[in-house]
Amino acid sequence: MHNIHRNPNVMWREEVDALAEAQAGLECGDDIGDIGTAVLFSGGAMLSINVLGAEIWKLCDGRGIEEIVAELLEQFDVEEELLRSDVQAFLDDLTKKGFITYAE
Amino acid sequence: MQNEIVLEAPLTINWAINNSCNFACRHCYSRNDTHDELPRDVLFACLEKVAKAGVLSVNFGGGEPLLHPHLLEIASFASGLGLRVSMNSNGWLVDEQMAVTLKKAGFTKVGISIDSHLPAVHDGFRGVAGSHARAAAALGHLASAGILTSISTVICRINNDAIEELVTFALEHRAGQLNFHNFKCSGLGLANKDELDLSPEEWKIFYRGALSAKQREKVIDISLDDPIIALLGARDTASMVKGSVCGKLSLNIKSNGDITPCGFIPVVIGNIARDDLRQVWRDSDVLDRMRNKKPTGKCSGCSKYEECLGGCTARALALTGDMNSPDPHCWGSDGKPL
Repeated sequence: MHNIHRNPNVMWREEVDALAEAQAGLECGDDIGDIGTAVLFSGGAMLSINVLGAEIWKLCDGRGIEEIVAELLEQFDVEEELLRSDVQAFLDDLTKKGFITYAE
Repeated sequence: MQNEIVLEAPLTINWAINNSCNFACRHCYSRNDTHDELPRDVLFACLEKVAKAGVLSVNFGGGEPLLHPHLLEIASFASGLGLRVSMNSNGWLVDEQMAVTLKKAGFTKVGISIDSHLPAVHDGFRGVAGSHARAAAALGHLASAGILTSISTVICRINNDAIEELVTFALEHRAGQLNFHNFKCSGLGLANKDELDLSPEEWKIFYRGALSAKQREKVIDISLDDPIIALLGARDTASMVKGSVCGKLSLNIKSNGDITPCGFIPVVIGNIARDDLRQVWRDSDVLDRMRNKKPTGKCSGCSKYEECLGGCTARALALTGDMNSPDPHCWGSDGKPL
């Protein structure tokens, strides 16, 4: 029960302008956590997520949480335990909304 | 990791690809709409434009979309562009073979309009004998073909006290979702308003019952799209949009390509064949006003205004001429929601 998959019924897209703004901020060392760069949409429920959330979402392709965390550590300059905690909380929320599933 | 976001394009398009219809529904919003239709090649180019703009899904309607001679080809093309394709139909033409064909054409979901669990009531309302039986059969054919189904019921005087019966009907026919739509007062809905619409107090009673059913039912998703249910503290917490979704998540395209905020607001803000969709979405004054409504009248001071934003914009506009007016269905008074 460790492999995480996006629910194929969830539609999603990255917002080009917002993503460019976030990437520019990231390069300048700004806090970009408040910039929504992607939107997930399913059955009337919508979720807007920031760059980190979007990267986690994209990595929900059958990997486990440790693989996701390892991949993100290469992309983001963040303390590992804090990242793992944030990723777990985000995945829990996605699970609750039915946006991801766990499989063997 | 959850944030507010300004969408750069609609998530979904409701697309009335034709206005021809084999029914004569008493609340039809499009009976008097243009019958001009985009030529096939123009329509395909418009679908490409919509997909390129970032739209995720298109929901075909009309009219009865199955009367469009190229519906299957259009759906297949749209699906091939990566768009999630769905449709609202009266179900008359959906037999077993058609359901399989729709699945092959890329339809992932089909909504069937059913106004009552009682065949005689539905048939009388839709003006076609036998329409209830064929709509009910369509639900079964679609489910068997592997297409998600929903039932669309416009709440009005013929069905407002039949919540439990409608839920039972939906469960019996394996519908995945039961949509209780508010009555919009557009087209024939406006002409027949006095006969069909409910009073604000009756709306309150209906929504209390519908919300109770929604909380109770675990098998079927009961969907309520009316912003004024915020008065009952019941807006979907998963929704990030306050008030109407029209012009915030979705747009409507008419058979001639005209773009309107929703199918019930007859204000043209562009044309998909001529204009850039993202530009219309970003720059339309009408959409700007819908996204930034101002409380007027009894909405001023109402503790629920930030949630419901004055309720359904289409209804306010149709009945008062001002989209900022309080939704005429609202039962609140003197700034008090209940």
